[in-house]
Amino acid sequence: MSTRETKTDILQGTLDLMVLRTLATMGPQHGFGLAQRIQQISGGMLDLNQGTLYPALLRLEHRGWIRSRWGVSGNNRRAKFYEITAAGRRQVEKESEDWARTVAIMDRFVRLTETE
Amino acid sequence: MPGVWMRIKELIRPARLDGELDEEVGLHLQMMEEEFRRRGMSDAEAMAAARREFGGVAHAKEAYRDQRGFPWLESFAKDVRYALRGLRRSPGFTAAAVISLALGIGANTAIFSLFHTLMLRMLPVAHAEQLVSIHRTGGWGTGTVSLPLYREIAGRADLFNGVIATNGVNKVRFTSQPGDREEFTQREYVSGNYFQVLGIQPVIGRLFTGEDNRVPGGHPLAVLSYDLWRNHFAADSAVLGRTVVVDEQPLTVIGVAAPGFHGVAPERHTEVWVPFMMSHFGQLMSPNMWWLMPLARVRPEVPRPRLRAALDVLMQQQLKTIYGEHYDAAFRRKALAQRLEIRAGSVGLSMLREHFGKPLGVLLGLVALVLLAACVNLANLLLARGAARQKEIAMRLSLGATRARLVRQALTETLLIAAAGSAMGIGLATWGVRTISGFLPEEAGNPFSSAPDLAVLAFTVAISLGSALLFGLGPALGSTAVNPAVGLRSGSVDRAGRPALRRVLVVVQVAFSVVLVALAFLFGHSLLALRSVDLGFRNQSVIAFNLDFPRLWKAGFHQPQDQLMKTLAATPGIYSVSCAFPGMFGGGSSDGTIRVPGSERTATEPVDVDITHVAPRYFETIGAALQGRDFERNDTEGVVKVAVVNEAFVREFLPGESHPEARWLSFDDSKPEGGERTSIVGVVRDIRQDGIQEKIAPRVYLPFGQKDELTFPPDILVRTALPPAAVQAIVRRELPRLGSGIAVADWGTIRQRIDDSIFETRLLAALGGFFGVLALLLAAVGLYGVMSYGMAKRQGEIGIRMALGARRTDVVGMVLGDALLLVSAGLILGFPLAWAAARAVHSLLFGIAAVDPLAFGGTGGVLIAVALAAAFLPARRAASIDPMRALRHE
Repeated sequence: MSTRETKTDILQGTLDLMVLRTLATMGPQHGFGLAQRIQQISGGMLDLNQGTLYPALLRLEHRGWIRSRWGVSGNNRRAKFYEITAAGRRQVEKESEDWARTVAIMDRFVRLTETE
Repeated sequence: MPGVWMRIKELIRPARLDGELDEEVGLHLQMMEEEFRRRGMSDAEAMAAARREFGGVAHAKEAYRDQRGFPWLESFAKDVRYALRGLRRSPGFTAAAVISLALGIGANTAIFSLFHTLMLRMLPVAHAEQLVSIHRTGGWGTGTVSLPLYREIAGRADLFNGVIATNGVNKVRFTSQPGDREEFTQREYVSGNYFQVLGIQPVIGRLFTGEDNRVPGGHPLAVLSYDLWRNHFAADSAVLGRTVVVDEQPLTVIGVAAPGFHGVAPERHTEVWVPFMMSHFGQLMSPNMWWLMPLARVRPEVPRPRLRAALDVLMQQQLKTIYGEHYDAAFRRKALAQRLEIRAGSVGLSMLREHFGKPLGVLLGLVALVLLAACVNLANLLLARGAARQKEIAMRLSLGATRARLVRQALTETLLIAAAGSAMGIGLATWGVRTISGFLPEEAGNPFSSAPDLAVLAFTVAISLGSALLFGLGPALGSTAVNPAVGLRSGSVDRAGRPALRRVLVVVQVAFSVVLVALAFLFGHSLLALRSVDLGFRNQSVIAFNLDFPRLWKAGFHQPQDQLMKTLAATPGIYSVSCAFPGMFGGGSSDGTIRVPGSERTATEPVDVDITHVAPRYFETIGAALQGRDFERNDTEGVVKVAVVNEAFVREFLPGESHPEARWLSFDDSKPEGGERTSIVGVVRDIRQDGIQEKIAPRVYLPFGQKDELTFPPDILVRTALPPAAVQAIVRRELPRLGSGIAVADWGTIRQRIDDSIFETRLLAALGGFFGVLALLLAAVGLYGVMSYGMAKRQGEIGIRMALGARRTDVVGMVLGDALLLVSAGLILGFPLAWAAARAVHSLLFGIAAVDPLAFGGTGGVLIAVALAAAFLPARRAASIDPMRALRHE
């Protein structure tokens, strides 16, 4: 198996949450649109290697969190649109909580070093 | 799980999905370029920027594909394709591996299917594990019990939850309705509680109850098997109440038993069940009539010792009431020595198992050895293949393949070989089963189910998978343990060839062959010993058969029998015709107690002797030397009673008598000097008429009708130069003239009957021989492989030797010597194993010792010969090496 390391600063596993969250709030998107949204939301601070989006989308689809269908894009081109499923919404809630907890914990550690 | 469906779709349509991904990525790039152009880049700049932002396109696609479908399945499919390519490239290796494995697996499947039927498969009845069979043994016990004894046993509700009895399964005449064409069916006489106790339900109608089996001859009822009902009556429920004729008895069909139930004999398939009170055996209620086989459901709370003790008491009481007062002390002792023995009954009642159980166990051991030998051969071939692939493996390792992946590939190849081997093995097993069936006498039944048994298939798959993994893993690990740097540097990687390991494997192979070949020799020799036993008569090609009379035949069988014999005797090409009861190798017995006046043996008490009732010219027909005179036609009606005795009779009762013809014996055994005289008119050689291993005992031959009126038609014996078929045609032609409904039964030559009587030994010798040859072939393949590999390795060395003056014969001698070394090691390892195996099968051998010099000497000789033959080609190749070329090559 080849490895899927990316050169980005995206933490392993956080891309899934970004994708799900984006689809949950912005509605169905095609691949390029999704990449654009993620970049926008991150305020351009994220070094997203856009090619890695596709394996991630397939992974999420296998898990049943998103589904895809072919449609027509804004300028009348055939494109594949991704939308979140009910299971995906539940997953977003769960992962968001997990993430908040992780951040809170990490935050304590970060402060600990600062006060020392 | 939506993912699974998606993955399956992805697996089926990979090309379409690739296209979709291309389209998606293409669109993405296009949109990015547009975006960059909008920001003011030139076309070329926009394109470059888009690519950069997207990251590696190929890499992304690859990562995408890796996730698709079932990654492990795809890599397995890839391995399979790779292995198939590799196997196709070396057809010799593939053929050798597959065929050797197929032979091993086929042999195991064939023998196991028989073993499974006779030893393992539980009867399809409720709680089969509670069943025991009750055998009468000791004294003259032969398994069966009498009806009064059965009732005693069945009455013990404190021991059993029901005891059934059966008379066994017989092939009898059958007409599905009166007036229809006559066919044959398998009929079983059973007790009334048979179905109830076994827990069998009817499909339609009802099954027997105790009420259906009360009065002799009073219950003309039949229950049909599901198969018979379907095949013969189209599963029509109108069959209920109809009359079928079974063995000439009109019976009313009352029900059909549940599907899958074929009676309690695993090698038989009962089609019609009839209450045993309908049996025509005569004195059903007599305590002297042994004809029932009980099968009992033991109460789980009764321990075996208590059960045994209770049955002992019961049996002794029975015997004492019947025989306790018998005047003949010897007879009484023998009678009272009978016991009831309990045996496991969960697999059913099998006559074939009684006979064939032990040989079958031995055969199972033999085929296991064959499979092991085949597996060792496979391991050896795989090692050789691994050695030949060293360079390729080193190359792939250095290109980054992991060792686990290479091992997996190697195992995939072995699995493919195993799969092909088992597919072919199942085919071979079918053929093997047919061969074994050919050895079984007709009365042995058919222990092979026509449909492949799931348990047997599972067994086959298990042994082939097991052998592939067990014997494939070692070579796979061995051949991938390569240091790529070393492996690539030179063509000759010594370490990976594992020559030492391969030599050890060959030695093991030879050792297995030693065991198999030695057993083949032992069984073969045993068969020869059996065949060369002096049976006391010469004409084994004599045709023997008997007439089967309709049950309702009242006229007696003498007249039609005499008429047929006269017609046959008058036919040109037929030398002589006679008849006898009991017949030659046909079962049946007749005996009587006698006094021989003047003999010390019978002075205090009478002695029981075997009797054969014969017609004139009997001894001449079978070719037995007779001193004195033969019987004549008027001996039967004559005033003077006459007898011919065998030599054992003279030895036993008249030792040292030079004129036994002048003596007489008496069947009036009440007083030492006897009563009515039976004059001895001749002495015949000791004839074994009941079996090759029959113990020679005093026997008295009497003219037909002189002593008892026979109840069974005797065997007719025809000595002729005509082919049996021609005689059969004459008999067929004559039958209608003798009376309607008379049929021919047990047709065959005496030699065929002898063959049937020793089928176990013949089967062991034939299969043993086959497996022995197989093992030799495997050993030869292994030896040849190792020797040619060794030669290829030593080309340079041989070249130097020859350049230094070694002659070709020296080289040949060197190679052959090496082969002999391997075989000697194998013999040293194998002989103790073979000896142990011979000890284990000793009870199946006839007339030879376990350490049979012929067998063991022969084994050594054959293996050495095979080794020399296998080494000959490599030796010749080595001797024809051109020293100059070999050295230059180095």
